[in-house]
Amino acid sequence: MILYLARRLVGVAGVMLAICLVTFTIFYLLPADPAAAACGKTCTPERLAEVRHSMGLDEPLWRQFTDYLTGIFAGRELGEGPHALQCGFPCFGYSYEYSLPVWDLLTDRLPVSASLAFGAALMWLVLGLGTGIAAALRKGTRTDRTLMVGAVAAASLPVYFTAVMLIHGVVRVAGVLPYPEYAALTDDPLDWAANLLLPWTALALLYAAMYARQSRSSMIEAMAQPYIRTARAKGMPERAVVVKHGLRSGMTPVLTIFGMDLGGLLAGAVITESIFGIPGVGRLFFDALQRSDQPVILGVTLLAAFFIVAANLVVDILYAVVDPRVRY
Amino acid sequence: MISRSVRAALAASLAAALTAGAAACSADSGDSGGGDRRNPGATGVIGGTPQRGGTLTVLSNQDFAHLDPVRNWTMPDMDFGIRLLYRTLTTFRAEPGKKGTEIVPDLATDLGTPSEGGKVWTFTLKKGLKYEDGSTVTAADVKYNVERSFAPDLTGGPDYAQQYLADTEGYAGPLKGEHLDSVEVPDERTIVFHLNRPIAEFSYTATLPTFAPVPRAQDKGVQYDQRPFSSGPYKIDRYDRGKELVLVRNEHWKASTDPVRKAYPDRIVVKMGLGGDQIDDRLIAGGGGDASAVEWSDMRPESVAKVLSKEDVKARLAAETTGCTDMLHLNTARAPFDDPAVRRAMMYAVDREAQATANGGPALNEVATAYLPPALAGGKKADVLGIPPAGDVDKAEKLLAEAGKGDGFTATLTVSTGDKTRAEALQQSLDRVGVTVKIQTVDPSVYYDTIGDTENAPDMAISGWCPDYPSGATFLPFVFDGRTIQETGNKGNYAQFRDEEVMREMDRIATLTDVAEANKAWAELDAQIMAKAPAVPLLWERKPLLVGDNIAGAFGHPVWTGQFDYAVIGLKDPGTS
Repeated sequence: MILYLARRLVGVAGVMLAICLVTFTIFYLLPADPAAAACGKTCTPERLAEVRHSMGLDEPLWRQFTDYLTGIFAGRELGEGPHALQCGFPCFGYSYEYSLPVWDLLTDRLPVSASLAFGAALMWLVLGLGTGIAAALRKGTRTDRTLMVGAVAAASLPVYFTAVMLIHGVVRVAGVLPYPEYAALTDDPLDWAANLLLPWTALALLYAAMYARQSRSSMIEAMAQPYIRTARAKGMPERAVVVKHGLRSGMTPVLTIFGMDLGGLLAGAVITESIFGIPGVGRLFFDALQRSDQPVILGVTLLAAFFIVAANLVVDILYAVVDPRVRY
Repeated sequence: MISRSVRAALAASLAAALTAGAAACSADSGDSGGGDRRNPGATGVIGGTPQRGGTLTVLSNQDFAHLDPVRNWTMPDMDFGIRLLYRTLTTFRAEPGKKGTEIVPDLATDLGTPSEGGKVWTFTLKKGLKYEDGSTVTAADVKYNVERSFAPDLTGGPDYAQQYLADTEGYAGPLKGEHLDSVEVPDERTIVFHLNRPIAEFSYTATLPTFAPVPRAQDKGVQYDQRPFSSGPYKIDRYDRGKELVLVRNEHWKASTDPVRKAYPDRIVVKMGLGGDQIDDRLIAGGGGDASAVEWSDMRPESVAKVLSKEDVKARLAAETTGCTDMLHLNTARAPFDDPAVRRAMMYAVDREAQATANGGPALNEVATAYLPPALAGGKKADVLGIPPAGDVDKAEKLLAEAGKGDGFTATLTVSTGDKTRAEALQQSLDRVGVTVKIQTVDPSVYYDTIGDTENAPDMAISGWCPDYPSGATFLPFVFDGRTIQETGNKGNYAQFRDEEVMREMDRIATLTDVAEANKAWAELDAQIMAKAPAVPLLWERKPLLVGDNIAGAFGHPVWTGQFDYAVIGLKDPGTS
């Protein structure tokens, strides 16, 4: 197991390095010039050269890249003179738009995105798995068909449509909830939940539908296995058969997509966060795109890649827990 | 984005609402702010005089670009910074309409004393000016901030100090202990600016945040942007970038030293990152928790019909003209627009009425007839060519035939994605005279990089310009001076217009010491450039902003592109905020 973990961690580091290099190179080759954007409405060539130097953009690509990597592991000093910026470990660059280290921005926004992701995940797991398992256990019945038609309908609704409809129906027409405005969990847990209820629902409806379909087919397959027949023949209660034997193997493929989905959401749900005005990593990314804030775009890209790669690793390890047949 | 047909329907309803609104108003008092009959929103000040106290909430879909005074060069952000956080040597009156374009002393005791024919300007600071920690504002702090504007890492701010001050070559800011000799501070309250040429309107230049004080001990380089040290009526209590900014009273600010700022609310909370449509809806409802709120960004065109159809909501809408001119730049660096005759034909071919429709309707857009907005031309709408708003196809065809382009030609037009509808309207109007327009849409984040790359620039591009203060000096040289053209990152002069005659005249006007004479000369130069047609003036837009039921003292300020004047805004009943 330890050897396996070590091998995987080396793999994770390799993937992250490759993503970092590719993203860095793409930004380097793009026509947009962050120095020109920062320089302002009028900018002489001399001033532009000074700005480029102060941002370190006059260095060759390899130098900028190695400086960036060094910063991630050891921090670095940006600029020069008495007001040089100390960008401490882990330094993912500096946003000249926000005048803050990218890492500070990411760590500030991450709890917000995590609030959204975990709440929505809980909702879609309960809703999606419940629906999928219920449909699987009633395979071929009217209930099964109704649930699956509902799931297909929900899965085909894009989140920007669901979000706008929810705001219109629940807030504008019914007036049940206020217009969403993010409140921190630590400030007011009730306000936090009330403001996230609609975004959770918008995301959960989409994911729950996909999970219902996935878990139904996995469960049907699992419940058709010979060991289920054996368990039943031995007189095991049906509930125990479903939970102990059916669910454990049926949920393995669901676990894989769950890891990927949660990992992706932790790095920000751009559309949901933008529509509901949630200041998470996704909204940060959206704003950074609008402002050509390349250090932030790069930082969020790396964070997203990290979460997905890490989620993959965690899921692979969890396989061993969920499915006793898997051994590392 | 809404479709053309929806926009057309919207425009029709807006036109009807506007007609009804215009009929309700009596006389056209022009740019008085109190009775502009073309204004579809409230006339004058919304809500009367505010009471002191309470919390004013600002609902915004974005964060500020910069609040550091030397980096703050976005008009609404300048309004916010100058009116609430830092004072400048001079500033604009807090009044709607033309009166708002007049300047009064702020930190200084007067509007400055020129000498040596306008090449030297001396300002004396008032007594009793304090920062948020109770320390005294000194002339050296103003000098220090002017010097900061030269620092290459403090980007994005006004560059008038670089343009106007003498002997600044090679200067890169005060961080390494180097200082400008051209700014003298003979004593704690006197500051003397030595300019590289006479600047008649330097009193106006001193309204810019470059001329606010920053004490050296508080300077933190680029991080100063996070928390400017207050010399104004409020100080920053909390600033979570992209989330929320909370301002509280600066108890050391004295109203007796400040002729402009009234500082009515106790607290000002800016909530950022909210959905634009939701902000509109909340303020259309305008009651409950949002009664004490105002919106920061323009109301969306989709919301206009909902507002104009309800008298009670319309009474809470400010729609001051932005004072900017939106233009279609014609690339004069290459064929076919290197030929002035072809460019002149474009002046007549473009249907500017269709542009207004495509940009949210006639209620919020006026057809532009000159480059200089009316505020820079003595309040008059210059119209030297007298072209009908929908264009003059016959005249355009005749001009094209004379230029040897009677069979038409193909031209490229680059717009940002949000302006696609406007590009299509242009495409249709130019198609009437045989000009085939190929539209290229680019993401807003790279739009100015794309059209500012001189070698690869398109034949046509849409862009506007807003003056920094009411002077042609802050408009025409930025847009039509050939010496400002840069190979990449070209800004303002997107037409790449280089005309010796025009540049000579700009230099001559720059030496005029009489402001009135200079303004008249700028207006004449505007007509001269119109004849050479490097760009087609398209629209003069309005800035539509809604307020809640409990807001008082609200009006769009004519200098800061129609943004609310934060110096005098407040609440009717602070107890309910």
